[in-house]
Amino acid sequence: MAAGIRVAALDDIPEGEGVAVSRDVTGTEDDIALLRDEDGRVWALNDTCTHETASLAEGWVENGHVECPLHSSKFCLKTGAVNGLPATKDTVAHRLEVREGEVYLFPGEHPVE
Amino acid sequence: MGAHDRVVIVGGGIAGVATASALRSGGYHGDIVLIDRAEFPYDRPPLSKDYLAGRRDLEQIALQPPEWYAEQRVDLVGPAEVASISPGDDDVAITLTDGRDHRADWAVLATGGRAALPPVPGLGDARQAGLVHVLREAEDADRLREVLVPSAALLVVGGGLIGAEAASTAVSLGAEVVIADPLDPPLAAAVGREMAAWLHALHARAGIETVTSVLEAVQVDDGGVLAQLRGEPQVRRFDAILVGVGMVPSTELASACGLEVDRGVLVDAQQRTSHPRVLAVGDAARLRDHHRTEHWEAAQHDGQRAAASILDAPPPAETAGWWWSDRHQHHVEGVGTMREPDAQTTVVHRGTRGTEPFSAYTIRAGRLLGAVAVDDPHAIRAARRLIDRQIEVDPDRIADPAADLRKLLRG
Repeated sequence: MAAGIRVAALDDIPEGEGVAVSRDVTGTEDDIALLRDEDGRVWALNDTCTHETASLAEGWVENGHVECPLHSSKFCLKTGAVNGLPATKDTVAHRLEVREGEVYLFPGEHPVE
Repeated sequence: MGAHDRVVIVGGGIAGVATASALRSGGYHGDIVLIDRAEFPYDRPPLSKDYLAGRRDLEQIALQPPEWYAEQRVDLVGPAEVASISPGDDDVAITLTDGRDHRADWAVLATGGRAALPPVPGLGDARQAGLVHVLREAEDADRLREVLVPSAALLVVGGGLIGAEAASTAVSLGAEVVIADPLDPPLAAAVGREMAAWLHALHARAGIETVTSVLEAVQVDDGGVLAQLRGEPQVRRFDAILVGVGMVPSTELASACGLEVDRGVLVDAQQRTSHPRVLAVGDAARLRDHHRTEHWEAAQHDGQRAAASILDAPPPAETAGWWWSDRHQHHVEGVGTMREPDAQTTVVHRGTRGTEPFSAYTIRAGRLLGAVAVDDPHAIRAARRLIDRQIEVDPDRIADPAADLRKLLRG
């Protein structure tokens, strides 16, 4: 998987929002949310909130975090660290690359700092 | 920081746990003792939803995982009951019913409240007989769950948030449910009349009978209850009654040690009570000259403000109050304050009720006061920021479902 999986065009992800990529594509346990911040950068986290069952791809992306659409727990876009109840468990961040406007995902690999 | 380098928090609901959490994240190095009546602190919103339905157990609704207490050096004492607190000039003594006591620099009262029971003839006897339920604690939900078998007849007294959530769960488990509330629709003050009417009508579509009435009398009857609803010619028979008409703050510890109490332990904007060594947070507390905000996030913010007071740190930023609720597969959220339209106030609707995400907004003098949304969390997150930043809003753009609310934040 040296080249990653092409999962989306960058333009398909509105700034401040996300899209979910099915586990059928990523081969991971959970779907993966591609989340685009206000600066236009895109990040990848496991899609299901660690609290209940909400999709983080439907969350609100701002200030380096995604806010869960159900109960507003926040997760760090870079690391997946939880910041705020009711969720108490961190989620998983995945590495991705953007090349020529296309998003390539490396499921299961830690993002590069 | 004080003679003992210790804070004792009485009560393990969201306000108490938030206090402990914010003390540590704010750099408090002393001991934190958290005394809870339960085995461990758990989250209460699921008690009327997934926990009541049996879809999540107590471990799954724990407010923090077990290892958190050791990691954060929070000494969890429970199940335990506090008998008294004695605040003095230099410290506070907190005595448990088993005789153990703690000395601390500060006590934080996070004692919550209990369900209010209206003074209805026969209701007390029926409660004694186990036929009248409330929902505040996990044990309450455990007892109610046992009743909610298919075809069980349940009367829900009160059509507010808790009543509606529990009724929704009950009907999903096959119970036959009647909701009685004197207001038609309930919740109009919180969400606006039109939104309240739509939300209340969801019950009928789910097979629940809604009655605009109050419970006048109750009689125990051979394993069930006979309920007289005002204006009805005959009593009705139910297997159980759930009362959801609000809460009474638990202020006994505060009253007993002479703190000022008036429908809650009175606090200032830093959660300080009338004694400098005692703070109060969550449902037990009431900000002087204000109504209590009995919502989950408000209790959490109380805890954060109490921690800031103890740490002598700046309080967290003020933000418009936010809440959520779930009924009949719809997720409802609100932020700020809703008002009925008048000369200065406009109520704007966005989207079509029932067919897509939709929301309602109260606007006064070009500023957003509040919003309520069904199945549209983004609308509420945008609205909250519009309120907090006092951004001038154009009602026509808010009403246009094609307009991106987030763009309004850029002014």
